[in-house]
Amino acid sequence: MADRGADDGVDFTDLLPPDLQRQAEVVAEFNSVTTSRTWYHYLLIVASLVFAAVSVGFVGTILWNSLPEWAHHSRTLLGGRGWQAPIGPFGGLAMIVGTLETSLIALALAVVIGIGTSISIVFLIPRRFRNIVATLVELLAAVPSIVYGLWGFLVLAPWMLTTVNPWLNSWPFAKAIFGNPGQEFGTSLLLASIVLAVMILPTFVAISREVIAVVPQDLIEASLSLGATRWQVIREVVLPTARVGLFGATFLALARATGETVAVALVAGGVANVQFHLLYPGTSIAAWIATQFGESSSTEISALMALGVILMIINFGLSLISRGLVNRQRKILAVV
Amino acid sequence: MDQEFMAKVKMEVVDKSTAPARSVIAMQLKDVAVSFHGRTAVRDCTFDIAKNRVTSLIGPSGSGKTTLLRALNRLHDLTPGAKVAGQILLDGVDIYRGDLTVTELRTRVGMVFQRPNPFPTMSIYDNAISGLRFNGVKKKSILDEAAESSLRSAALWDSVESRLKVAASNLSGGEQQRLCIARALAMDPEVILMDEPTSALDPIATLRIEELMTSLKQRVTVVIVTHNMQQAARISDDCAFLLMGEDRAGELIEFDTTEKIFNNPIDPRTLDYTLGRFG
Amino acid sequence: MSDLVDLQSPHEIGHEMRDEIRRISDHLRRRRQVRSTIMVALCGVALAVTAVPLLLLLFELFHRGLPVVLHTGFYTQLPQTPSLVAPNVTGGVSNAIIGSIVLSAYAAVMAIPVGVLAGVYLAESDSKLATMLRIIAQTMAGAPSILMGLFAFSFVVRALHIGFSAIAGSFALAVLMLPVIVISSEIAVRGVPNTLREAGLALGAKPHKVSMRIVLPAAVTGIVTGIILAVSRAIGETAPVLLVIGGGYINSWKPLNPVSALPLSIYENAKSQWPSLRTQVWGIALVLVVFVFILSLSARIWASRKQRAR
Repeated sequence: MADRGADDGVDFTDLLPPDLQRQAEVVAEFNSVTTSRTWYHYLLIVASLVFAAVSVGFVGTILWNSLPEWAHHSRTLLGGRGWQAPIGPFGGLAMIVGTLETSLIALALAVVIGIGTSISIVFLIPRRFRNIVATLVELLAAVPSIVYGLWGFLVLAPWMLTTVNPWLNSWPFAKAIFGNPGQEFGTSLLLASIVLAVMILPTFVAISREVIAVVPQDLIEASLSLGATRWQVIREVVLPTARVGLFGATFLALARATGETVAVALVAGGVANVQFHLLYPGTSIAAWIATQFGESSSTEISALMALGVILMIINFGLSLISRGLVNRQRKILAVV
Repeated sequence: MDQEFMAKVKMEVVDKSTAPARSVIAMQLKDVAVSFHGRTAVRDCTFDIAKNRVTSLIGPSGSGKTTLLRALNRLHDLTPGAKVAGQILLDGVDIYRGDLTVTELRTRVGMVFQRPNPFPTMSIYDNAISGLRFNGVKKKSILDEAAESSLRSAALWDSVESRLKVAASNLSGGEQQRLCIARALAMDPEVILMDEPTSALDPIATLRIEELMTSLKQRVTVVIVTHNMQQAARISDDCAFLLMGEDRAGELIEFDTTEKIFNNPIDPRTLDYTLGRFG
Repeated sequence: MSDLVDLQSPHEIGHEMRDEIRRISDHLRRRRQVRSTIMVALCGVALAVTAVPLLLLLFELFHRGLPVVLHTGFYTQLPQTPSLVAPNVTGGVSNAIIGSIVLSAYAAVMAIPVGVLAGVYLAESDSKLATMLRIIAQTMAGAPSILMGLFAFSFVVRALHIGFSAIAGSFALAVLMLPVIVISSEIAVRGVPNTLREAGLALGAKPHKVSMRIVLPAAVTGIVTGIILAVSRAIGETAPVLLVIGGGYINSWKPLNPVSALPLSIYENAKSQWPSLRTQVWGIALVLVVFVFILSLSARIWASRKQRAR
């Protein structure tokens, strides 16, 4: 065995077991689909380049159109309060803060409830209902966000106004956190957070259920065989094993919440104030772009494009993190 | 080394004179049957598992060996529609109907699985003492002692002593399986169930696990399911032969010492099977 | 042989230790059991907390939407603005239904060829370009849809001087669909077993013929499923079309005319001051949701049936 390795220029595929050797050959030969010069090959390359061009154009166009605003008012955009249409200054702080507030609160609600829900679907629901529930969850994840916004705006907002606000205001500590707008506003940052939470729950559960379901049965049985209770199995074996994938799902949900537009536009109230009392209205970057765009001057459009760039940076950052985490989860499970 | 190995493989029933006599009983099975949604998977199992001996369950695929083994620590509790009939006694207490909780039963009857399955997110050390942690043991001195003692018993201590905090996934397959044995041993159970523990391992690793099992006898009672006739002959003291009946349900054909089963069985089917005429 | 295993006698755990472990474990058993029951029950509560608002939403949607969608005029008439004289007039949403179909059809025509071919390229190449495209596709797939609207506005409406039009909306939706189709096509093509490729190559077929004649047909189920899911996502999107389609109030199939769309009418009617329009809006939402459900259910059922047939 050793003398073979000493040969110069040895082809390492020789060292693979026979079945892998064959596979390596097939892959090598097949890769020539994309290296051989046939019209089919060029077609594939051209399509890929078109896709790349569209993606680069997407980022580039928005960046280019926001440049005038970035060049002169970058500090106002990131830290200024107040949005003086049509000529500025255009302060972006309220939208940035609103985006973070609503999506982080929504995320906190959705992740805790969502993980519990996924655990229930995988471990509590009888097997024959499991597929039905999983399908239902995926269908709900496909419901357009405008429908969630509509429900929040026409059903939840009046209910907030008549029931939730007075109830919250009867608690002194809640008043300190949420503010005391009386029965003035139905739409608010709190409502936006709730609607976002309900909206991202199906998406989050669809992913986290899968991540939890693929934790090998082996490990569950092994921990039971060591005398673990059901909760200990979940808490100390299932969740840690699924952990990285769950983080991935969380960042994905966060990315979705930060980018949500029309639902937030309907239920957040649409006021450009830096607002930490959640019962008062606010807005988010995406919602602000959508509501202001219609009657904007060209300077304002440039400012809205600049807001778009901020949103893009937040979103792409979250996507990159979540993809890294999901890839790591694959590696962890591949080891098992 | 290969010749030595072949010699080992060819060896028939090895001398078992070192094993203690079948005097003390660890577990008793009385008319045990397991069914799933009303369909019987295995039945008519009545035999005693003697303390400090290795009992093997053999038989062709589908004869219900693994099903029977999993009934011994109530792993079927997880499966909807699974029912275990008859009596399984541990120390004279019925494990299904006595006042023994499942978690307590499982700390006294440990299990090792087909594929090595250390917890992927835990270190070697944490894997070894995971059972103690589950059971609420927090004292560092106990945990350390149990880790060392169980890893030594699993013949793993010398190779991992210097890297206890390393993730268990860094170990080879054979080492992982020994870690799983150590994990079960740390609870100091009375019985360890092994479900084809070497079927995913290479011959050398298999051999080491077999030697380990023989040496473990002084500490625990071992029940092992195996497909490998030579393995059963080499390591077990007692042997239960199961076969699929006409209605596709497994049943116990014969139970006796391994020597009898392999050299002088009562039922002709047992002889056919051990001689490799079917299955 | 004995060098394999150290055959020293097994280490006896002192019985004090076994007893100590058993004592601790007995002592805590009840507490652990109770804790387990409570926590598992809390997971059940979480399921209920998830289910209740979602089921309420579905209930409201059907309860309020069904009476609206049962009128044929809802599908055939153009919208009418209520007035003080006739506050209950709403008309139908034919323009929005046609608009949604037009928008997604043009978007599909633009996105499918590019998306599928790029996906095939990703599946069958390990070049640097492929690696880079894979990262781009995954990042683009999660990009906020409002940004597609900004892109279409800057590029189609302003730079190309096409103006507010169906084609601008389709462009935005196509950008949205592209990465989804690329990713699902790649997965589908990768899922084709290597034995099929081998069989083709063994018969002496050229690699590109194998790819076209054997691999693509075998992957077609997955590719089509991905396309349907992309369309069903695009058809419900409001933000990208909101900025660029102009909201036409006539039935138009032409790419250069302004059009409306179902999600857009939901957005506008929901904010309307007229109660009649706020009632009608549930019907529009129901139609949209049923549309999306049918698309994603059929994709799912088709995919699973094909899988079983294999």
